[in-house]
Amino acid sequence: MNRRVVLGTIAAALTVAASAASAQEPMVFGVITPLSPPGETALGQQVKRGSEIAVEYINEKGGVLGRKVVLSIHDTAGKNEAGVAAYRRLVSNEKAVAVFGFIHSGVNIAVNEVAKEMGVPTMGTQTGAGDVTAKRYDIAFRTHAVDPPRAATWLGWAKKNGFKRLSILAETTDYGIGLAKATEAQNKSMNLGMDIQTIMFDRTTTDLLPQLLQVKAFKPDAIINVGVGQPLDLMITQATTVGLLPTVPMVTSYDAPGRPQHWQLHKEQGVGVHFIAFYTQKSKLSDVGEWFVKKYQEKYNEPPIYSALNGFANALVFAQAIEMAKTTEPKALIKALETGSFKGWSSVPVTFPQAEGALWHNWSPPLMILKYNKVNQTQADAEVAYTLGDN
Amino acid sequence: MFSAELFTQTLIAGLMIGVLYALMALGITFIYSIVRMINWAMGEFYMLGSYIQYVVVAHALGRDLWWLAVIISTAGTFLVGYLLQPILIKPMYARAMERRDDYATVVTIALLLMLRSLAVVIGGPNQFRPETNLPVMWVGPLPMEGARVAASVCALLALGVFYLVISRTWIGLALRAMAQNRVAAQTSGVDVFRLDAMAFAIGVALAGLAGALLAPLFLVYPTNGAVATVKGFEIIVIGGLGSIPGALIGGLLLGVVESLGAGFISSSYQNAYGFLLVLLVLLVRPYGLFGERGREA
Repeated sequence: MNRRVVLGTIAAALTVAASAASAQEPMVFGVITPLSPPGETALGQQVKRGSEIAVEYINEKGGVLGRKVVLSIHDTAGKNEAGVAAYRRLVSNEKAVAVFGFIHSGVNIAVNEVAKEMGVPTMGTQTGAGDVTAKRYDIAFRTHAVDPPRAATWLGWAKKNGFKRLSILAETTDYGIGLAKATEAQNKSMNLGMDIQTIMFDRTTTDLLPQLLQVKAFKPDAIINVGVGQPLDLMITQATTVGLLPTVPMVTSYDAPGRPQHWQLHKEQGVGVHFIAFYTQKSKLSDVGEWFVKKYQEKYNEPPIYSALNGFANALVFAQAIEMAKTTEPKALIKALETGSFKGWSSVPVTFPQAEGALWHNWSPPLMILKYNKVNQTQADAEVAYTLGDN
Repeated sequence: MFSAELFTQTLIAGLMIGVLYALMALGITFIYSIVRMINWAMGEFYMLGSYIQYVVVAHALGRDLWWLAVIISTAGTFLVGYLLQPILIKPMYARAMERRDDYATVVTIALLLMLRSLAVVIGGPNQFRPETNLPVMWVGPLPMEGARVAASVCALLALGVFYLVISRTWIGLALRAMAQNRVAAQTSGVDVFRLDAMAFAIGVALAGLAGALLAPLFLVYPTNGAVATVKGFEIIVIGGLGSIPGALIGGLLLGVVESLGAGFISSSYQNAYGFLLVLLVLLVRPYGLFGERGREA
């Protein structure tokens, strides 16, 4: 009896010690993002910066459930297999409670196939393909614009300008294929009657001249550039060479031109380029959003762009959801994410409704098309050429 | 829809890019001929050439002296190759190694990873573009970036100079002797170890030259050599390993097939057309269009 009591006491003490230790152990947030080519590294860097500032903010406020938060950042180089390996390592070895930072849709989709078995929720930071959330996996969340509203934005812009012929050059990735299909589908379903030329290209291609010559032969009113990273910039350069730009307006499918690198690469060729944007310095921010913008500017001597804001917000949302659930247990965390309303960077609260299709667990930022009218113009000064819902 | 103008433009685009691919392939095939090894890090020497080009143009010479920067980039890549060869490659011969091919594969892949990682750490993840002062030029019916025209012309010149050096100079004679029979060349008094270093350096310098010439067109970033390496190996299979004319013809063929395929069949499979050509050549002439059936004692 005495022996049993002693053993039982020791076991209880060890259990308490273990939970006390684990309660003091830092909480790991995993960031899976591209930090080297051929991934979209500039955006990955922004996500990394945003999430690092978020963790500083969270820890300054006392952490989450009394525990300090630490980031574990993994580079995918834009490759699906690297993302999957990173997720496995984060969940199995590092005991991450939340994973975010995705830029490439293909990586997010591949990781979600594993995450649905392993259970730790993921959040697409800037992944646009419908399938990231359209499969309605419990673990899949996203804070970014999906294909349909993005396609609706440039179709609305084209309609506003009276354009009848559009050329879409899209990379053969989940992102590119999804956007090309969404554009064609909406042209049909909304009876816009536009003549659309769709040209797909391998994103590892180093020469887009054959494709651009086909575009030139088609004589479009506008070009939709659905390249990510290097192909996006290559298309701007080569479209100028063959005489398409600046006469034929080009819209890029995301806000890459918002970075200072746009002017370093393109100089005068960058004038007249339109781009989809989700944030400008004129956007309405929440109080933490405003804090973040100031902090980022102090730290990096430049204003943040959307990717940094979203990286910041993803970490914050997970922290708030864990506090709401009072646990890091995945199912409870997922429930909290589905039912809660969270503060992100925008004045619009972040919610993840169980909606239809790609809007499942999806929060979308406001969408607009900005245009540069002069060299070295900043995103803040760019002309707002169109806002979704204008017409 | 077929149009003669589009066909001509696409053909010209294919020929011009093919010449540049041929430079890469020439470097690979030349190193193989002399040193009897495949250098898997050729793409990283291409990348090195492109980075040197950017740094020299952006921070030293400016866009007007882009041509001088090309010479410096090529010389810089040559120097790096010349310094690395005794450390990494020479042990293959100096130590009478048995499994030389395995050694060469491991060492050059390690070099590939090291150079790529260094580029990420030093240069960061962003892309760069060294400028030139060349305006858009018309090549027949096709407007072309001046840099692309210059790159194709320089590549042809480089191929010509290379041919002259190999066929008309003493060093070229010694290198050809080594390619034919290394032991006999050594017995005849040729310093094979010194020429190994020279051959390796020349081979990687050709890749560096391609990188410097293409940097204004295809941008500068840590993995910009990866695709060039694949193209180079496709070309040496098409043209024949160890064949210099094969590298040029193979490059031109690959450029044209990819360009016409993308222009008239489907651009989604641009890279696949090149691989189909490789398969076809392997079926018809397994040792390449200009290659020779090898014999080993």
